[in-house]
Amino acid sequence: MINQPYPISCKVNGQTITADVSPEMRLLDFLRYELDLTGAKEVCGEGECGACTVVLNGKTVNSCLILAVEVNGSKITTIEGLSDVGNLNQMQEAFVDHHSVQCGYCIPGMVLSGEQIIKDHEKPSRDTIKEDLSGNICRCTGYQKIVDAIESVSETS
Amino acid sequence: MIYYAPTTLKEFNKYCQAHDNISILAGGTDILPRWQSDSSIKPKVLVDIKKMNELNSIQYSDKEIIIGALTTIQELKIDPIIQQEFSALSQSAREFAGVQIRHRATIGGNICNASPAGDLIPSLYVYNAVIEIAGSKGKKRISIQKFITGVGQTALKKDEIVINIILPKSNEKSIFYKLGLRQSMAISVINFAIAYELDGNGRWKSLKIAAGSVAPTVASLTTFANALCDGNNVDESIQLVDNDISPIDDIRASSNYRRSVLKNVLKFTIKEIYVG
Ligand SMILES: Cc1cc2nc3c(=O)[nH]c(=O)nc-3n(C[C@H](O)[C@H](O)[C@H](O)COP(=O)(O)OP(=O)(O)OC[C@H]3O[C@@H](n4cnc5c(N)ncnc54)[C@H](O)[C@@H]3O)c2cc1C
Ligand code: FES
Ligand code: FES
Repeated sequence: MINQPYPISCKVNGQTITADVSPEMRLLDFLRYELDLTGAKEVCGEGECGACTVVLNGKTVNSCLILAVEVNGSKITTIEGLSDVGNLNQMQEAFVDHHSVQCGYCIPGMVLSGEQIIKDHEKPSRDTIKEDLSGNICRCTGYQKIVDAIESVSETS
Repeated sequence: MIYYAPTTLKEFNKYCQAHDNISILAGGTDILPRWQSDSSIKPKVLVDIKKMNELNSIQYSDKEIIIGALTTIQELKIDPIIQQEFSALSQSAREFAGVQIRHRATIGGNICNASPAGDLIPSLYVYNAVIEIAGSKGKKRISIQKFITGVGQTALKKDEIVINIILPKSNEKSIFYKLGLRQSMAISVINFAIAYELDGNGRWKSLKIAAGSVAPTVASLTTFANALCDGNNVDESIQLVDNDISPIDDIRASSNYRRSVLKNVLKFTIKEIYVG
């Protein structure tokens, strides 16, 4: 089958990117293999686990279920875009302070979902935090410390 | 694969005429997981409709609410008027997947995918929703019951697209119930929506019930609902539910389980509404 390359232009972590992409390429692969942004991970590849979470026009999405061509004209933030030249942001610091990380594979997605929760709810209850984390699976931590970290940021912001 | 992203219906029609077989892409949350398991089903021509602004609004009037096909599940979930006046639909959006999927998945995609487990569909049945379709021959409207014709099957023709879902306003209240294998991120084992109005004397002025995952399409439980409206009691009438469903065994549940759990939860729910 012919794959007619399609020109896209988008902002990734504040930088303008232009590229000709195959219409079959997923956003996840574009970020990881074309832009070397390997923070977003692939686990399930079908929208269940949230390891591939990125922020698209201000909203968390699964980059394994989006084609690169679809983000033409959009703004994307990956986990790499949260810290400012090596300085972790508040949510990232909270994950460190609360020992929320074990193997780390789910954590980029968890941090970005945490950011979304703080944006969507003024003072989220633990139940709300858990509910809104339901699209992110962690195999290691048992979630408590992840919820602790997000809760601590919501209390200070 | 060739990719197009039309911004207007006119442009959409142009691509449909130029190619025999196009595949519409909305949020992609049904289509893309399918490619993952079988890459041979990728289409030759993919038409991404997300840049068509005319499909992307919710309009309110005294008579009805017009929901654009591209409205996402998250947008439905947080809409205050839908929360107030169409609570079953709002509830079904709340119980839908997780945040990331809700940010992408659309109402148009949910009905066009026509899964018997599609969570928005039972509510649309009890509201008597009307689907507005556009094609090369113009626009038309059909009921949701006529729109969905089988498992994954709809009345849409090759060059047609769903543009709006229209909900007539009424005095009825509504509720939605979903049973999954876990609390979130689960496909429904069964689900149902009820729209109803009680008169001052505790009698049903109207009662509509639609259940999902218990037949090839969402099933309207009219025999049972009519029996209740005729004044029969819930415990005696509940067996009538069997007349309107034909569940199957699958990986999520057996047919017998689906029958019993639907009847049990329905019985409790109806009693709860009745007692208030
Ligand atoms: C992890 C996960 C969890 C999920 N959880 C749920 C859940 O809890 N409940 C539930 O009901 N579903 C669930 N789904 C299924 C899916 O998210 C929904 O069915 C969703 O509403 C599909 O919308 P979409 O915009 O992503 O559709 P797409 O994948 O873009 O399209 C689906 C189908 O509809 C067609 N189509 C889309 N829009 C139009 C239109 N306007 N006109 C004509 N044809 C159109 C497409 O061609 C395609 O055939 C889940 C999916 C995933 C991956
Ligand atoms: S890899 Fe995308 S959700 Fe699991
Ligand atoms: S820390 Fe290992 S998967 Fe979450």
